[in-house]
Amino acid sequence: MKPSTVKIEKTPSRFKHQVPKYKVTRSDACINCGTCVGTCPYGVHERVEGHNRAKPPVDYKCIGFECRSKDFCCVDKCPRQALSLSLNPMYATLGDFRWTADMITGTWIMAETGYPPQRTDLEYNVGNSGGGFDKLRFRFMAHPPRVDKSEISTEIPLNRRNDGRANIVIATPVYGAGMSFGSVSLPTMVSKARNATIWNTFTCTGEGGYPEMLQPYDDHVITQIATGLFGVREETVQRVKIIEFKYAQGAKPGLGGHLLGEKVTESVAKMREAVMGTSLFSPFPFHSVYSIEDHKKHIDWVKEMNPNALVSVKVSTPSDVDMVAVGSYYAGAHIIHIDGGYGGTGAAPDIAKKNIAMPIEYAITKVHNFLKEEGVRGYMTLIASGGIRTAHDVAKAICLGADGAVIGTAELVALECVRCGNCESGRGCARGIASTDSELSDLFGEDWATQRLTNMYHAWNVQLVEILQRFGMKSVRELVGRTDLLEHIDYSN
Amino acid sequence: MPKKYHIHPKAAPLGLDYVCKFKIVRGENCINCGKCTKVCIYEAHKRRKDDARRMADPNTVVCRNCFRCIQECPRGALEKSLDKDYAAIGGEYWKPDMMLSLWKQAEDGKVPVSGAGYRGPFSGTGFDSMWTDMSEIVRPTRDGIHGREYISTSVDLGRKLNHLAFDADGRLASTVPNIVDIPIPILFDMPAEELSPNVREALVRAAAEIKTCVIMPAAGITPDLEGYRDSIIPFLAPAEIDAHKDALKKARLVAIEYSDSVRKDLPGLTGKLKRISAAPVIIRVPAVENVEDIVARLVQDGAEIVHIAADYRGRGINGSVGADGCTLKDIIRAVHLRLVEDRIRDDITIIASGGIAMAEYVPKAMLCGADLTAVDMPLLIAVGARLYEEPDKLLIFPEGLGKIPVSLLAQRMVNLMGAWHSQILEMMGAMGIREARRLRGESGRAIFFEEIDRDTFGNIFKKRKAASA
Repeated sequence: MKPSTVKIEKTPSRFKHQVPKYKVTRSDACINCGTCVGTCPYGVHERVEGHNRAKPPVDYKCIGFECRSKDFCCVDKCPRQALSLSLNPMYATLGDFRWTADMITGTWIMAETGYPPQRTDLEYNVGNSGGGFDKLRFRFMAHPPRVDKSEISTEIPLNRRNDGRANIVIATPVYGAGMSFGSVSLPTMVSKARNATIWNTFTCTGEGGYPEMLQPYDDHVITQIATGLFGVREETVQRVKIIEFKYAQGAKPGLGGHLLGEKVTESVAKMREAVMGTSLFSPFPFHSVYSIEDHKKHIDWVKEMNPNALVSVKVSTPSDVDMVAVGSYYAGAHIIHIDGGYGGTGAAPDIAKKNIAMPIEYAITKVHNFLKEEGVRGYMTLIASGGIRTAHDVAKAICLGADGAVIGTAELVALECVRCGNCESGRGCARGIASTDSELSDLFGEDWATQRLTNMYHAWNVQLVEILQRFGMKSVRELVGRTDLLEHIDYSN
Repeated sequence: MPKKYHIHPKAAPLGLDYVCKFKIVRGENCINCGKCTKVCIYEAHKRRKDDARRMADPNTVVCRNCFRCIQECPRGALEKSLDKDYAAIGGEYWKPDMMLSLWKQAEDGKVPVSGAGYRGPFSGTGFDSMWTDMSEIVRPTRDGIHGREYISTSVDLGRKLNHLAFDADGRLASTVPNIVDIPIPILFDMPAEELSPNVREALVRAAAEIKTCVIMPAAGITPDLEGYRDSIIPFLAPAEIDAHKDALKKARLVAIEYSDSVRKDLPGLTGKLKRISAAPVIIRVPAVENVEDIVARLVQDGAEIVHIAADYRGRGINGSVGADGCTLKDIIRAVHLRLVEDRIRDDITIIASGGIAMAEYVPKAMLCGADLTAVDMPLLIAVGARLYEEPDKLLIFPEGLGKIPVSLLAQRMVNLMGAWHSQILEMMGAMGIREARRLRGESGRAIFFEEIDRDTFGNIFKKRKAASA
């Protein structure tokens, strides 16, 4: 599969409006001449056939102040100066330091069109957190070696142990995060799997069972074994190509997981072999693992059960994460997946998200360097997650030492998540993404969602290829550990 | 095993004015179609009671910012913005979101839980420039919050002996100092602001309920607080001792203000106090420049407990604000390390206060080297106070607060502390520590921004340009 063969299709928002960055105001001076309707190519101004007055401006379609330099700008064209343009106060209510409104809007455009936005007024590659990825920039060369985009490969292998198990190669260095059935809706889960199949990459079940509807996509599903062992059965372990042991989650390191009783509906309870309406806890840690030797015992056990599958170990980022990574190599894992403290979640105490364990940017460097020092870097696939929001974050993570990245929130934003953070309570997500409520989980179809995800993956791939081209590289594998290609705006080299 | 310590939260809505984060306005082009009512799962949009043909004003109190009404209104008639009152509260240190969270915790006593990842800045100043560690695979965590393992948050206040001495007959020769044990590493520090009598009483009652103490000026201990003597730490200047003998006699702990006379003759002063009461003595020292020298000297002179008080934003007093090393975090570290270096750290108890704004600041202050903390502002925020930093510190209490029953106000403070206690357990559990006494100075379980950023990016990118936050 080549990324260039993926089918892109325009897939607009399922809502009538989007969240506008600008506000176009039409004053009483308007004489209904219709000039604005004729001039705006973006559809901000509309007039219904046969009506005298134009409809109120559709703010979200406006491209903002940069339009003033074009010769079709409505504000300048209006013969009565009845139109004015300003920032919309609504925009300030969208997004946050990590996921800015621009980043959310940019991701929506990518999910709609399949390409990165052409607008210059959206800073969608970096957030506003004031640290980590948001302070890193690429040091592009003035005259890189000429490489044609068609020669550039974004493939990465996942099995580097040469141990006779499946040689899995994914087409793009990104795969989908574990989100359990129960924490997200079935259409979300299935569309993630369908997209993973299209992109010849993976998605992960999370801890919460393996819904039957995922079976057609078995070859692209990672099944997770987490501390609660919810929904883990021999047949689910045997069905897949990658099995992931989840030791911890970046958003709540050391705390285990919890699904509030309200979200344990009949279907969720059945899948998890639990009782409807009761809160379900995944303890922390695995009560059978207190050493690397115990850890190896776990890995041996699944390897025995499925002789062809790869084993991934998902851990969060304590200060000794490097030791854990090397231990995982000795225990026989193929993939070490580190999930940083700022990662996503369906529910976690705010105190844990903010304070416990280190951000992923530090952990990648730490693990990469230590695996190298121990001489085993070449045998492990290092996957980073927890705060990877954009294609630029992926490339930066790879420069710091990761082989690839896992993304969760970005996929949900592609499905029009606004990060309101109410996934955890009551009926769950008001937008139908992270809800198992019978009414809410029916808000969108799998076709729409799959195409949105496919589009976003495509846009990211386009960006990644562009970055590689500007570095004169033919493969994303050349980028691994190239910290010399980065700069940090607080440091001078 | 000690009896399990538990704080009992109870829903305690204040019912006074409420600051909302958002404002939604229904524009004139609304056609009363009712689409918003249909799409809002939080019931922010309803028809008017007196005229069902028209929509009522949106109820922003219940709005959870899902944007569905905004995006689905056929006429685009709904406009949302950040509420002006919300944006104006707090300041750089006391962020508006912090106050919303404190109000919520005071209301229900629950650990704030939400979906989606962290949304704040990468790091900040003071305690926001450190993370706490967790245990994975090779070090067991502790399951405190779900009660499978008991995590103790008790701490001791008093002077400690390095060793015990025995005479020739094997009898104990050392005088074992009096030590007070409290079950949560938080004291209440009565704020200097003018408080209505019910708020003052609520502070004392809440302290009693959670078995901690409130530090308050001895002159303010009115007869109506007689029943709470065990929970009150009278605070006074050395010159006031004679005037408050009675209060001192009944106290479990006593606090005196650091001054010249304390500096010159602490043993004399302590002797005088001990003749009145056996209670351990806290010396409250403002966090001035080089406070570590003052504390070291006090320890040498036999101090039992030192209370280091920073300003309400966790900054040193009269220090060069904005420069390095003047946040409470750095002040505590400097004091702790100095005492460790002088080999006297184990002799005394250190209380840190000023700017303890959120639950995580408590264990973080302890990791930096404090034995426990004292809180002030959050207790007032718990009863609905709004704090403004600019242009000067200003506290606004909700109108009608004076008429709210003491029991409700006290319950809100208890709720807040209950939520904090649970959150402290979460952090301790993740760290694998089940004894709050062991948090003190345990910097191996902390990740400091300056250190890790230097070790990571400093190694890659060499020189850091400026100490920007």
